Amino acid sequence: MENRHRRSSLLKYFTDGKFAELSDPTVGVDFFARLIEVKDGTRIKLQLWDTAGQERFRSITKSYYRNSVGALLVYDVCNRTSFEHIPRWMMEARRHIEPHRPVFCLVGCKLDLVMNGCRREVSQEEARAFAEQYGVHHVETSARTGYNVEDAFRTVTQEVYNRIQNGEYKVEDGWDGIKTGFARPGGLDFNLVEAEPTKSSCC
Amino acid sequence: MFRSRSWFGGGLWKPKNPHSLEHLKYLYNVLSKNQTVSENNRGLLVETLRSIAEILIWGDQNDSSVFDFFLEKNMLSFFLRIMKQKCGSYVCVQLLQTLNILFENIRNETSLYYLLSNNHVNSIIVHKFDFSDEEVMAYYISFLKTLSLKLNAHTIHFFYNEVNEHTNDFPLYTEAIKFFNHSEGMVRIAVRTLTLNVYRVEDASMLTFIRDRTAAPYFSNLVWFIGNHIIELDICVRNDADHQSQNRLSDLVAEHLDHLHYLNDILCLNIEDLNKVLSEHLLHKLLVPLYVYSLTRRKDLLCQNQEERKYVSTVVALFLLSQVFLIVPHGPLVRTLAAVILKSNIDIIKNGASQVLKQYEDIISNTTVAFSPPKESLDKSLENLNESSKLENVAEKTVDKDKKNWYSMEKDKSIKSSTYITESNSVKTEFDKVDVANETIEEIKYLSVTDEEKEQRLALENPLTSEATGNTIEQDSLSNKPFLETILNSLYCTENDYAALFALCLLYALANNQGIDPETMDLVLAPLKVSIKNLYNETLINRIIHIITLSCQINAKVRLVTLELATKLLIQLVISENEVLLQDYHLAAVEAAKEQSTTLLRNFYKGEDIFLDMFEDEYSEIQKKPLKVEWLMMDSNILLPPTGTPMTGIEFSKRLPCGEVERARRAIRVFFFIRELSLTLNNEIETQLPLTNPSSCVQVNNVLDLNNSDLIACRVVWKDGQKIKRFLVIDCIQLILVEPDTRKLGWGVAKFVGFLQDIEVAGDKDDSRCLHLTIHKPLSCSTSNRIPLLSAKFIFEDHIRCMAAKQRLTKGRIKARQKKMNQIARLLDIPTATPHCSTPPNYALMGFRNDRMVGRGQRPKDQQRMFTVNKVPGFAAQMRRDSLIKSGTKRLEGSPSVKCQEASIRIRDSSPKMPRPRSEEIPLEDMRLRKSSLTTTPVCVAEHVEVGTLAASSPEEPEILIRKYSEETSFTERQNNETRVSRRKGKVETV
Ligand SMILES: Nc1nc2c(ncn2[C@@H]2O[C@H](COP(=O)(O)OP(=O)(O)OP(=O)(O)O)[C@@H](O)[C@H]2O)c(=O)[nH]1
Ligand SMILES: [Mg+2]
Repeated sequence: MENRHRRSSLLKYFTDGKFAELSDPTVGVDFFARLIEVKDGTRIKLQLWDTAGQERFRSITKSYYRNSVGALLVYDVCNRTSFEHIPRWMMEARRHIEPHRPVFCLVGCKLDLVMNGCRREVSQEEARAFAEQYGVHHVETSARTGYNVEDAFRTVTQEVYNRIQNGEYKVEDGWDGIKTGFARPGGLDFNLVEAEPTKSSCC
Repeated sequence: MFRSRSWFGGGLWKPKNPHSLEHLKYLYNVLSKNQTVSENNRGLLVETLRSIAEILIWGDQNDSSVFDFFLEKNMLSFFLRIMKQKCGSYVCVQLLQTLNILFENIRNETSLYYLLSNNHVNSIIVHKFDFSDEEVMAYYISFLKTLSLKLNAHTIHFFYNEVNEHTNDFPLYTEAIKFFNHSEGMVRIAVRTLTLNVYRVEDASMLTFIRDRTAAPYFSNLVWFIGNHIIELDICVRNDADHQSQNRLSDLVAEHLDHLHYLNDILCLNIEDLNKVLSEHLLHKLLVPLYVYSLTRRKDLLCQNQEERKYVSTVVALFLLSQVFLIVPHGPLVRTLAAVILKSNIDIIKNGASQVLKQYEDIISNTTVAFSPPKESLDKSLENLNESSKLENVAEKTVDKDKKNWYSMEKDKSIKSSTYITESNSVKTEFDKVDVANETIEEIKYLSVTDEEKEQRLALENPLTSEATGNTIEQDSLSNKPFLETILNSLYCTENDYAALFALCLLYALANNQGIDPETMDLVLAPLKVSIKNLYNETLINRIIHIITLSCQINAKVRLVTLELATKLLIQLVISENEVLLQDYHLAAVEAAKEQSTTLLRNFYKGEDIFLDMFEDEYSEIQKKPLKVEWLMMDSNILLPPTGTPMTGIEFSKRLPCGEVERARRAIRVFFFIRELSLTLNNEIETQLPLTNPSSCVQVNNVLDLNNSDLIACRVVWKDGQKIKRFLVIDCIQLILVEPDTRKLGWGVAKFVGFLQDIEVAGDKDDSRCLHLTIHKPLSCSTSNRIPLLSAKFIFEDHIRCMAAKQRLTKGRIKARQKKMNQIARLLDIPTATPHCSTPPNYALMGFRNDRMVGRGQRPKDQQRMFTVNKVPGFAAQMRRDSLIKSGTKRLEGSPSVKCQEASIRIRDSSPKMPRPRSEEIPLEDMRLRKSSLTTTPVCVAEHVEVGTLAASSPEEPEILIRKYSEETSFTERQNNETRVSRRKGKVETV
């Protein structure tokens, strides 16, 4: 109900390039996938889990962290409470992805509202300071206009790819965070499972 | 044609390996090319759907990329799109099957959650399939059942949407319960399983929804359904005068049991709110108005409109109530029900039916007590639930009046959708004095039906006999409690014990129900007249003892099962903390019954073999199968009037005896039951039964001291040609084949044992050294397998030994039987010439008997032989090998430490004198000589059994020996002195 802010819209825009004014609350989980190209031209397939914000699905959401490599922590720039819940989500994601170290990206959303005169409740500076403190990326977006949406995912993907390159992540049995792509001639593809379990609630 | 098919995959060839990602990709292509179901692609789609399930399950366990692909392509949406088209049952069935397999087998929880997400599953559940198609129905319901198995505190949220509190939002449950009364039993069972799986998930908001929105409609419909079922059962019983519909009846009884177990399963989940609603419906709409009210026909009492009132016959009501109390231990329910049955008096009842329950219930409820149809069908209720919630106008909703179904009468009442409360419509009728029970019986008598049917119907009603009205004081207090009165009056078995058996069952069930408080039960156990000295209900005990007394009469109409239950119940009611509360006059009545049962059995006591066999068989039968009331109450056969025809296939104990043999068997069992009752009531232990004390028998592998036994060497040739050297030992009741113990001289290991009473021995016409020996299994052993225990040829060293063996075996058989017949005679107080010793067989009878032998074994053809006993037996001491092993030390040869236990068979000098044809005697001196050379120890043969204690002791190895004496000794007393030259008193051996 009130804890619906942004997730599905963000993912929908990223995978479909569309924004729906009215979107149904996610019941349980949803799944999206998209190919993205990183700087050296390698194509990476992102598998994205969209999780429900409703409290009753919390226990289910947890199962999706385990096989993830990255997470977008999404808050509403016009909703302070949503931002205040971020540390909690971050800790929870960390705990469940362990021993792996997930790539986080702090994503402020509904930036278009601010442009339209809505009162901002989380300043850019504050969010950035928080991001720096935890060593995560920060980006402000709007699923309505599509502003920075691509960027948010790209940042995470690039960081994950870098970690693959430097050997921190590798394909492992029993962990589906990173998987080798379907064999294609000369392919260097990786599948990233990237959960997006970010939620914050006002209630 | 071929070509076009293979190109369906949009250029993809069908991969060879069905378990591969490639194959799923191929199938995906098939699906996307065939999104519209048509006549042409139906078969292809079905095959594709089937394969998809297979690959996904393989992938779930072997290759995660398979399911990733399924997710990526959102293949589930194809399923839904196919379903939403009018695709026909062929495709539907496959679709449901695929989904079923998928949900049943996916182990990966994230995959499962995905499948459950976003209401896909809910949209499948609410889809209007063509349920008239049997197969679609079957797959649909098993799909729902599979889903219910996946329910837990996490997954419940996918099915139950608590967000929208005002919608009927738990389709898995609400759609499933619509089929609670489906004509197909399997569907009903699936629904019950599903509901239990749902209740079991401890989710508060879901339970609230179920209680507030669905419990009342569901339970009221369920209860009505069960009630109609038992009315059908009752009709089946009423119309079955000649036991023709046993199968139908057994199905109906099984169904009722299923229902009770289902209700009990719900109650056992201990969901308080749910139990309250369920108990209320059960009591108000079924158990009290239909079951309990059927216990009386007094029209003045029950206020429900008489024309509408439905009831079942008294026997059926008693039977059903017994089942309820045997199965359901839920306190609040059974306590109330028991109170209604036992406490209700006329004043309460005539004040209006609903008063009956108000009196005893914890919950105050306004529901009418009546077995009447629910306000509306479940479908309708669930529909309304939806509508009314949408309209947000819950309270004032009225139901359409002009629906043409059986709900119409009730339709004008307003329905409060959540609580289902209706005003109580207590119609009061004046108490009038007409004895309606008798009236009913009169009515039946003049009905234009066959006599048989009349009798049948009369039997179903509770006959109030003249005896029943005999005790006026009792009657006064009893007739004030009409339900209890019926139960107690049913205990009279003047015509038969039809109702009595059920009344006993009900009392037993009440007395053993864990949920009933002792206080309520005291009403039955305690006296009706307040009196200090009686700790039990005298009326009840009088009547139970009356049943016992009746059953001892010749041609009594009391079945064995009724008697057994009566004794069982009596013992339970009058024994408290090991103390027998029974008053003297009651005890005397039991003793009198015992006397009478003894007298009855004496009439059947004959010297015939068959009597002994029957006696022992019946004893072991009773021991093997003690009455289990729970099992008895599952047997629909007892619902039919008692019969004596074995042709009905009804068990012996549950019908009356047919023919002389069965009457004898019955008399034997009656004797056993009452004997045991009497012993129990007198705090005595049975010492005389069974006739053979198993602990005094030699068992296979026992190690026996044979130093003083007579051994006859022989070779045993089995049917399969197997030949083994053995020594034959003949003990007083057993035949033992031993093998010498290699570790200890003079000892042997029993390799085979059989009872002498069961042997059949015959000579061989071609070989005078041979005997053919058959040992039958006692009838009681197993009924199906009639293969003899042993059937073999025995070859002895020479003719003389062979003849000796034959004589001793034949003699042994007679003696063994004689001994037992004497034991029975003693049990039956039949005077024998020499009461405490083996009496001679009645030889005069023997020849006569020989012609009509029915029993096991066979009498030797030559009567003369059996009198030629001149063998002096020794003892066979038996040692438990396991005690040896246990002691852990290897037994040293010749150093047994022995502690003797004398078998308590005392032999007196009172052996009968009888004619002994000398000519047949065979001297056995040489045999004994042989034996002494075999054992190397001096031959020590006990002449008098009271001597002969073996006591070689080596303190570190205490072992127990059971000393056995052959009773043949008694015959040897008067043997020629010269045959006993070398015999001395048994002496103590120390090696
Ligand atoms: N103006 C504006 N509205 C947005 C934006 N993103 C989402 N919304 C609106 O916010 C509402 C909820 O968005 P969802 O994306 O469905 O939210 P969610 O987090 O997925 O919600 P749940 O799945 O129920 O947890 C929708 O009505 C969207 O139209 C945005 O960037 N700008
Ligand atoms: Mg969402």
